[in-house]
Amino acid sequence: MSTSPSLYVDRDTAIHRLTPRAKLALVSGLFVASYVFEHPLAVAVPLVTSFVALVWVGGWANFRRLRVIVVALFVVGLVVWPLFTPPGGPVVLSTPVLDVTRQQFLVALGRSERIAAFIVGGLLFVTTTSNEEIVSGLRSLGVPYAFCFAVGTALRLFPTLLGATGTVKQAQQARGHDLDAGSPVERIRNYVPLLIPVFMTAIRNVQTQSMALEARGFDTRGERTFYGQRTFGAADWVVAAFGLALVVGSVVLRYVVGVGTV
Amino acid sequence: MGTSEQDDGIAARLRRVLFSYDREATLPSPEADADDAAPADPDERGGAVLRGVDLDILEGSFTVVMGASGGGKSTLLRTLNGIIPGFISGSFEGDVTVLERDATTTRVPEMARGVGMVIQDYEAQLFGTSVATEVAFGPENLAVPPAEIDDRIDRSLSIAGLEGLDLRRSPDALSGGQKQRLVFAGVLAMYPELLVLDEPTSDLDPAGSRETLSVIGRLADGADGTDGGTGAWDGPGTIVMVTHKIEEALLADHAVLLRGGRAYRSGPAEEVFTDIEALRASRVAVPPLVEAFDRLGVDDPPLRVEEAAELVAETDLTWQPPARAGDPLPGVPAGTGETTGDVLFEISDLVHEYDTGDGAVRAVDGLDLTVHEGEVVAIVGHNGSGKTTLAKHLNGLLDPDRGTVTWDGRDLRDVRMSEVGRHVGFVFQNPDHQIFAATVEEEVAFGPENFGLAGAELDRRVADAIETVELDGLEDADPFNLSKGQRQRVALAGILATDPDVIVFDEPSTGLDAQQQATFMDMVARLNREEGVTVVMVTHSMSTVAEYAPRSVVMVDGRKVADRPTRELFADGPALAEWDLRPPQPVALANRLADQQGLDGALPALSVDELVAGLQGGDGQ
Repeated sequence: MSTSPSLYVDRDTAIHRLTPRAKLALVSGLFVASYVFEHPLAVAVPLVTSFVALVWVGGWANFRRLRVIVVALFVVGLVVWPLFTPPGGPVVLSTPVLDVTRQQFLVALGRSERIAAFIVGGLLFVTTTSNEEIVSGLRSLGVPYAFCFAVGTALRLFPTLLGATGTVKQAQQARGHDLDAGSPVERIRNYVPLLIPVFMTAIRNVQTQSMALEARGFDTRGERTFYGQRTFGAADWVVAAFGLALVVGSVVLRYVVGVGTV
Repeated sequence: MGTSEQDDGIAARLRRVLFSYDREATLPSPEADADDAAPADPDERGGAVLRGVDLDILEGSFTVVMGASGGGKSTLLRTLNGIIPGFISGSFEGDVTVLERDATTTRVPEMARGVGMVIQDYEAQLFGTSVATEVAFGPENLAVPPAEIDDRIDRSLSIAGLEGLDLRRSPDALSGGQKQRLVFAGVLAMYPELLVLDEPTSDLDPAGSRETLSVIGRLADGADGTDGGTGAWDGPGTIVMVTHKIEEALLADHAVLLRGGRAYRSGPAEEVFTDIEALRASRVAVPPLVEAFDRLGVDDPPLRVEEAAELVAETDLTWQPPARAGDPLPGVPAGTGETTGDVLFEISDLVHEYDTGDGAVRAVDGLDLTVHEGEVVAIVGHNGSGKTTLAKHLNGLLDPDRGTVTWDGRDLRDVRMSEVGRHVGFVFQNPDHQIFAATVEEEVAFGPENFGLAGAELDRRVADAIETVELDGLEDADPFNLSKGQRQRVALAGILATDPDVIVFDEPSTGLDAQQQATFMDMVARLNREEGVTVVMVTHSMSTVAEYAPRSVVMVDGRKVADRPTRELFADGPALAEWDLRPPQPVALANRLADQQGLDGALPALSVDELVAGLQGGDGQ
């Protein structure tokens, strides 16, 4: 029922203390590294690094929340990629439908790891970066403040809606509503009594919230100050340089040296 | 407009203010006769809400605005910071001058430099991910230099009584009362001159309300939590508040009653709250002690329990309690729960846990409870004490993690929702969490249809239910256009149409004004008395408990700490204090008078009627 409404985990780790820009550089480096390589052993490096970092910053609970999605994507990738990969090498798995060759299997495993690395890397960022920092990070990249704020608010609204959905579901269940009754078409229609109240609740929330915002002096036009902004310090420079090195290094290793292919 | 007309000593001046939420509305003339203009039923949301308001808010005053639900109180407040007509569009006419600015043309963020606003929905007003960033948000918007914001955070948190709070803590982890006080801190950090409060405690439990009220009281007294001295901002000089609760209204020094979209009566709070005729005409609940002593023929009836106790001591009135400990216990004023039958629910050793990601939290912890047919049982306690979790086991919405819940002798785990739901109706706190249909009729028919009813029988049940909740004539109305009170009744009708033997209510009176609450509860009482419907209600409203529930169950941290006749519970002052339950005024006065007269074992009055009877010499004389 009650889950923590934000993915941000308030800890005081070295990664938490970085500015959002340095964190973005780090995560970008991990993303590029997992994108350019194909071989599962090579992709495993950024994946494992991200995962270890995520657990270290206190993000295990966040991973647990998404683990079903991660596992599902991983398995689907393993099944689907062989169908789109040219065969090569010895057959490692023989099924009535398809023979999977060594090359097909390695590519599929690498691609599945890549998706997992993206999710874990993204989690690493949101676990260590509060909404305000995401907003200020986007802003420091030149994105207009109003847009950044909207992103921050949407991130906050989402968990509220999840909570409302749970309550609405129970309220309709108490009135004898059965989501799983009937034919496939009826089952889709069964969601109407759920979706309308959730949608209306969302609209009411947004209206009240935007009124409260203006009443608090929020103005997209005027001048404003930013409290508690972190300055880009030595650690940030080091991490940003590391992120950049990761990007350049991965690209050079993959395309110049030719490492990490299948 | 009239900055030049602004008198000294007036914080806000409204002249001939008219407003309708309908953009194409034809506004009435502000000179039209108020009675002609007044809608027959304040639930009717069509037409103009404000119909010619003339009002001065004095600088340095604390003004409370009261009136019927849907009568324009919140609308009036929203003209003070330009939300109307700037943010909410509709049809607007009139002059509003606030802090020497024209509030009808100044943008809301500009008005926010002088006018701070707190509304009841605290969740919608929290924008930060930590206490510090939350409080800093307003000052940032006003472009206050970051170096100065630290000071403002300290100062406003201390006024809000949150000085000990970890600045890095997430607002999500706070209690309701703390959240609302954090909203106060965020608004106060903008150093407003005028503070506008729209039902700031309506969404809070008794403890949260009390915490928030003490902040308001501190602001009203002018204490700002610092030693002052600097000559800078010294607290909001002027406060305007809307509330339904009389104990909050009594903090104010001025009162305004709205009626028919006008300021019908305004003046010093003590005068307005003892003007019974004006209160009734504006559909505002008469303070219970005022009503009681007026009926006793006292010219200048008291507003507070202490004053009433003194008055009784000084006159020849004496208090005769309705009963003493050991006497046969009189029923509750509503006459509910008097005929009881067999055991209906048997709960033993119930445990329920929620998984929070940080491990399991035990919401209900080893609870036993028996409910008989025909009973009316109140479940009270703070938010988070497990009341709602317990209630959701009565119709199988939740399954026990340990222990059993039986209904009519059967373990609820073995009964399908489609069967138990037909007999045990559950009315949720917020009707908007279930209303989805295009018409009232369809909405009410949803439950019974799910339970297999159809044809003439369904039509009859739906029509009966709509009539019972007094919404006949609105069968084809779109439920989303109805008022909150009406929507609550639509939700109840949806349950009644299934013809349940038991109704479980989760906070049935939230968001309703005094009169709507009374109407709603009278309806429930009638179902119990006439049709023997068993009622279990989770509620914070102690006056509802006193008048309607002969039996009260008190929960603390998932455990049942008391299960007693309500009258005995309300006689036990130390226990009430320990569990932070504040009895309604008639009960509090009766207890005080019993102490004053040294009556041992006296049981209190539960209503104004009983209080009056006891002061007139009691039943026995």
